[in-house]
Amino acid sequence: MNHGRATRKRVGVVLVGMGLAASGLLYQLIRVQFGPYAPIFAAQTGSTLIVQKVAPTRGLVFDRGGELLATNATLYYVEVEVAQLTEQSQQAIASVLAELTGLPHADLQDQLNRDWIEEQGLYRIRLTKKLEQGRTFPITIDRMGAEVLQAFLDDPSAPDLSGLALVPTSERVYPSGKVAGHVLGFVNREGEGFFGVEGYYDDWLAGKPITVERGLIPPEARLQPDAPAGVNLVLTIDLEIQQMVESELEKAIERSGAEGGQVIVMDPRNGEILAMAAWPALDPNQYDEWLGDDGGDEPIITPAVGGQFEPGSTFKVLTMASALDMGAVAPEEEFIDTGEIEVGGHLIRNWNAEAWGPQSMIGCLQHSLNVCLAYVASEKLGAASFYSYLNEFGIGQPTGIDLASEVSGQLRTPRHPLWTEADLGTNAFGQGVSVTPVQLLTAIAAVANEGVMVQPHVVREVVGPQGVYWPKAAVLGRPISQQTARSLTRMLTESLEGESSSALLEGYQIAGKTGTAQVPTDFGYDPNKTVASFVGWGPVGEPRFIVLVRLDKPSISPWGSVVAAPVFRALAERLVVLLEIPPDAIREQFALGE
Amino acid sequence: MAMGVAIQRVETWGHANMRKPRFAPWRAEFRSAGQALLWLLGLLLIAGMYLAVNAKVARSGREVLILEEERAELQRENAQLTTALAEQTSVERMISRAVGLGFRPATPRDVQYIRVPGLDPKPDFVAPRPPSSRMGAGSGLLPAFRETLVDWFVNWLESGDGR
Repeated sequence: MNHGRATRKRVGVVLVGMGLAASGLLYQLIRVQFGPYAPIFAAQTGSTLIVQKVAPTRGLVFDRGGELLATNATLYYVEVEVAQLTEQSQQAIASVLAELTGLPHADLQDQLNRDWIEEQGLYRIRLTKKLEQGRTFPITIDRMGAEVLQAFLDDPSAPDLSGLALVPTSERVYPSGKVAGHVLGFVNREGEGFFGVEGYYDDWLAGKPITVERGLIPPEARLQPDAPAGVNLVLTIDLEIQQMVESELEKAIERSGAEGGQVIVMDPRNGEILAMAAWPALDPNQYDEWLGDDGGDEPIITPAVGGQFEPGSTFKVLTMASALDMGAVAPEEEFIDTGEIEVGGHLIRNWNAEAWGPQSMIGCLQHSLNVCLAYVASEKLGAASFYSYLNEFGIGQPTGIDLASEVSGQLRTPRHPLWTEADLGTNAFGQGVSVTPVQLLTAIAAVANEGVMVQPHVVREVVGPQGVYWPKAAVLGRPISQQTARSLTRMLTESLEGESSSALLEGYQIAGKTGTAQVPTDFGYDPNKTVASFVGWGPVGEPRFIVLVRLDKPSISPWGSVVAAPVFRALAERLVVLLEIPPDAIREQFALGE
Repeated sequence: MAMGVAIQRVETWGHANMRKPRFAPWRAEFRSAGQALLWLLGLLLIAGMYLAVNAKVARSGREVLILEEERAELQRENAQLTTALAEQTSVERMISRAVGLGFRPATPRDVQYIRVPGLDPKPDFVAPRPPSSRMGAGSGLLPAFRETLVDWFVNWLESGDGR
């Protein structure tokens, strides 16, 4: 009997021991399976999977020489894990963040109120700051701030920040600041690209975000796939030329008292945009300043493609090109300028309201005679041919340049219900027609490029994970013959030299045309304000650059020949150095092999 | 104790008149307890093995997460350094440094051109390739780690080996 009792006792002890071991194992199993927070997470989300959207790194943007124009930096969202929050850490977090971000302490304290958070049933919250109109936005801190907070978290003697968590996020950064800002556009806080290259190539640059699922119970041990990264872009922009152009434009704005302006430098042979500047300049790092309410006279982002204007006399190049190409006029053909002409019941006068007497077509261009060009369009070309040529030159149509928000300009043709014959006369000298700077430049570049009109573009190279892709220059058309282009180039060179234009550059033959356009308002044309412009290219014969200068409402002089032509000269003087273009005489020597 | 059991068995079955064997109550209890212990032991063994595997999976999962975080942090640091470098070498900064050192932009009159036969033009800049997408989940692992027995059986049938 005693024997049996002892045995039972021993068995009991063994059973208890094994039961304890089993309980221990079970407890450990639960710990391993669920982890400390998994049940809270699962209860809150109703799932045992963490579903994360993984956004790939946005592609980089370089200039043609490899200078970085757009890259990514890290910002950190500030989050709080409620389970770890204590009374002390609540106070400390509010104080440290208020000091670090300059946000009101009371506001932070309110957000960290644990009772409120628990009422909402949240286990993690992201702290926010108040913006205007009652909107809120997550608090972000930069890398330096994050390092300070991390040092606090790691140091046991520092204020208790238990519960504080920093969640990294990406921010677009433009290391060159305002330089090329209008070409680049910007990326908003949600990672979406707008305007310029960022807007046009947004899908390519952004890559493809993916959704990954990670098992939480038990924690999963597998590598998650990466989201396919965005492509890197190499632009046709030369940062050195771009910086020089922006600097010259700024000087011109100061000197002329203009309200704004644009300069575009393009290679007419292949449509590569070498520089595209606009004033006021846009710093894409500070794009908020440009996001005002709609309406009013707000500056346009990337005005080279989005800002249309009446071109004035620079448009005469296209009228003359059309007439020469059709054989309607010859360069030396004489025209007797009486100082006025009536077209469709509308009386057209010259810029100085004077009669210039007998003039060749070169003289008409040199003195920029409205009457002569209106005569050429109405009497020599006719509406059908004139508008057909303008259509060939792409007027009234987008060029297809790879920049977001391009507009098509406005051209009323005879098919338009509001078109009158008077439009033919005024359109001939660039009035009553709207173009974008890039549209006008592209059309005139056809004259510089022996009649071939090439599509302008700003991306030279697209580099993806699979390889490199070089977009080819697309020919938009051949609006005029090679002979016409050469003939008109000679006429424009002679007309510049004839008037001793301030656009001329010693040692290089330059062709170009000034423009002075009145500014249209709701009540007709403003008599005091103009858009002064110049379009020119060089060296004639082997053109390497074509430049458009536009100054809006200059105050020192209304004339393109006074305010815009000298800007062209200053730019051309630097361009021949930066593009390593020897003077005409030396190029001829090299060509002869001397 | 084992010896005692053996002796009793000999005594019971060794008798000329065969009787139904009778066990002491503690002996039946002992047997039940033994069986329960055996089950418990088996259960413990299985649970232990499961725990060991699970703990290893959890540890590996955590290590993967840590490595991924480390990699992301290094990538962020790289991007930060690249940005800082670009800012330090920006054209505006370089020009202001050059001007500070007494240089000025060259004019066409400052430049002399000479013929250099056979000189290759500077090659075009080619941007670095963005990182290619890492393979999807599960790739690189043995099938045994990825598929269930049912998967394996279905694959085996489909592959034709099971005809």
